[in-house]
Amino acid sequence: MTRRKLTILGLGAAAVLALAACAPGAPSGEGDTTQPPVESADPADFAGETLSYVYFTDGPDEQATRDLIAQFEAEYDVTVELEILPYADLVTSVQARLSGGNAPDVVRLTGLTDFRADLLDLAPYLGEDYVEEFLPGPVQAVTGDDGELLAVPSDLTLNGPFINVDLFNEAGVELPDPEDPWTWEEMTAAAQEVQAATGTPYAFAMDKSGHRVSTVLAQYGTQLVSDGEASLDVAAAEEALTPLIDMMAADTMPRDFWLGSGSRYAGANEIFLAQDVPVYLSGNWQVAQFAQAAEFEWAAAPNPCATECGGFPGGKFMAAFSASENPALAAAFIEFMNNTESQEAFVAASSFLPTRADLAEDGVTYPDRQADMDVFLADLVRTPDVTFAANADPAFSGSATALITAMDEVVAGQSDLPTALTGLQGEIEALVAELDS
Amino acid sequence: MTTPAQATTRPAGAPTPAGPRRRRVPLGLRMAPYLFVLPNMIIFGLFTIWPAINGFNISLYESSNGRNFDWVGLDNYRRILTDDEFWEVVRNTVVFALAFVLLCLLIATALAVLLQAQGRGKSFFRAVFFLPVLLSPVVVGLVWNWLLERRGGLVNTILTPFGGGDTGWLVESNLAMISVIVVGVWMNVGFYILILLAGLQGIDPSLYEAARMDGAGAWQQLTSLTLPLLQPSLLVVLVLSTIHGFQAFDFIYTLTGGGPVGATTLIVQYIYENGFVSPIRYGLASAGSVLLFVTVFCLTLVNWFIGRRREAV
Repeated sequence: MTRRKLTILGLGAAAVLALAACAPGAPSGEGDTTQPPVESADPADFAGETLSYVYFTDGPDEQATRDLIAQFEAEYDVTVELEILPYADLVTSVQARLSGGNAPDVVRLTGLTDFRADLLDLAPYLGEDYVEEFLPGPVQAVTGDDGELLAVPSDLTLNGPFINVDLFNEAGVELPDPEDPWTWEEMTAAAQEVQAATGTPYAFAMDKSGHRVSTVLAQYGTQLVSDGEASLDVAAAEEALTPLIDMMAADTMPRDFWLGSGSRYAGANEIFLAQDVPVYLSGNWQVAQFAQAAEFEWAAAPNPCATECGGFPGGKFMAAFSASENPALAAAFIEFMNNTESQEAFVAASSFLPTRADLAEDGVTYPDRQADMDVFLADLVRTPDVTFAANADPAFSGSATALITAMDEVVAGQSDLPTALTGLQGEIEALVAELDS
Repeated sequence: MTTPAQATTRPAGAPTPAGPRRRRVPLGLRMAPYLFVLPNMIIFGLFTIWPAINGFNISLYESSNGRNFDWVGLDNYRRILTDDEFWEVVRNTVVFALAFVLLCLLIATALAVLLQAQGRGKSFFRAVFFLPVLLSPVVVGLVWNWLLERRGGLVNTILTPFGGGDTGWLVESNLAMISVIVVGVWMNVGFYILILLAGLQGIDPSLYEAARMDGAGAWQQLTSLTLPLLQPSLLVVLVLSTIHGFQAFDFIYTLTGGGPVGATTLIVQYIYENGFVSPIRYGLASAGSVLLFVTVFCLTLVNWFIGRRREAV
């Protein structure tokens, strides 16, 4: 090897070693948290300023958001730069922007786990009592370890079933009573009766999602995680999942749909819209889509009860980053977007559920499908508080993925349910330990 | 004793022999080639070399958000190499890559030879075989997903009269791997055919004439003339298909999602899921990437050296 090559190699190795000696990232800076509360801030103080808002859309909410932004811009004489990202890219894109020192001021998120250390404590801006305007369940998700207000819950979703009314009527099967929830046995029996009478390929379908399966676990009184601990009760989970596994074994619940999507999320809405199934477990965000796309009569049905009733919650949050150049304006924007009038307009246009206590109590007038949204609102009251904490837990997402893998093994015949659930319990414990370390 | 150097030394005062004088090339002219490649090298350095080096660096840390990094040394490598799921993924990747490389080599060679021998319609068939290369891998995965569905999929519909109408192409582990291999080959083989066709067109036709005059049949011409002279192109196909085989991800993700139960999860999906699916583990994903890089690099070197040696022989 020539001296020249040796020199080049040496320089290359030195550069790599020098690089390896440097941590590839640096903690982000803290924002100014000494601002007065927003309610005492004068909108004129922000005149001429610009705010960036990174958003993802579920569809009908986009126009409602644009309308509210226009109102805010007019009232505060500011410019809001709305950037809409595909949901699949949201976390990585925002993380990349944070790493590059180009954090947006405000972001819409489905969970805080990936950003918790970077979020602005909104309490100094919005007041310590501000959270009391919201339902206690979603507030659990936005409260930091030291009581910080890391985000504002901007809308709620709730998992729950839909039924094909036409198929139920054709089969002569009684529709469920929204005021008196059916049981799991009653729901699956009705679904199978409709399937037998109408000849649909399947009786029951649900999205392939750990979040959706968590609905069933919650109804049988267990959670994947709770209060930062693994909390799966294997016996309760076995009781909860056995009907699903049995239906997939009999192919009355679509087995190929479940196995064919691998580790990816898969929505069964197309199966429901094709009228291949009379009962479909998903959530209230489908209401707006079904109102547009369904060519048959359908309805939201109450969640089935086992040891518990109600559904499993999800939702979105509006958060600001501590690296924001204008945290006071970001807080004012979040406050504006979530005041009673704004949130009512937003959730009504999007078929979402409110997070504000006053709206939950007084009800929301939806322009369409009011009866279906009322079914979800009624189920929200029945939903146990522990489900909100479970959904907000940092280990929930990873645990939900592990739950799907465990179910896959059982559905594919590679494991029995008790063995798979025992393995799942170990995986959740390892995951919680990893996130704690 | 006189050394050869002393023997050739000119006496003092002797005239300098007229020899070729080195002309000094102007600096601008010497720099020109470097300036021409500079824009490309800047882009290559910024978007390929630097991320690769940084990826190695990140593999020595743990991070869940890409901003706060904790030094863990070689722990990510230790963790990945003791992870049963990783070895399962490695097994899947080796099975896929071996089958993919072998089938691509065989099919591309056979089709290239047939196309070369064809008198009419050569361009048409060349375009037909190349068409899948132009499709987005994501679209390829989605289209084949519909074709291979058990209920109502085109493949099973065609197979129904022959008793194969209920085959679970994407939901039975072994069949899913076969499906993924077939789709991968279908999607890429057109590109390799083009490379081999270029190689075949570089072979002097007079060699075949001479072989025919010596009484060589078609098989002898293929084995004694075509394949030996096609070796440089075959080497390129071997190297490229090995790299493609180990890097396969996008069409598999939309075709099977790595399922059923991980049966078609290859190493790039393992890296992707550690890097971008909660819980995010950038360090672990980077360590996986480094291991993949080292594997592909070593295999490429081995292929290259074996190929060059054969060429030399």
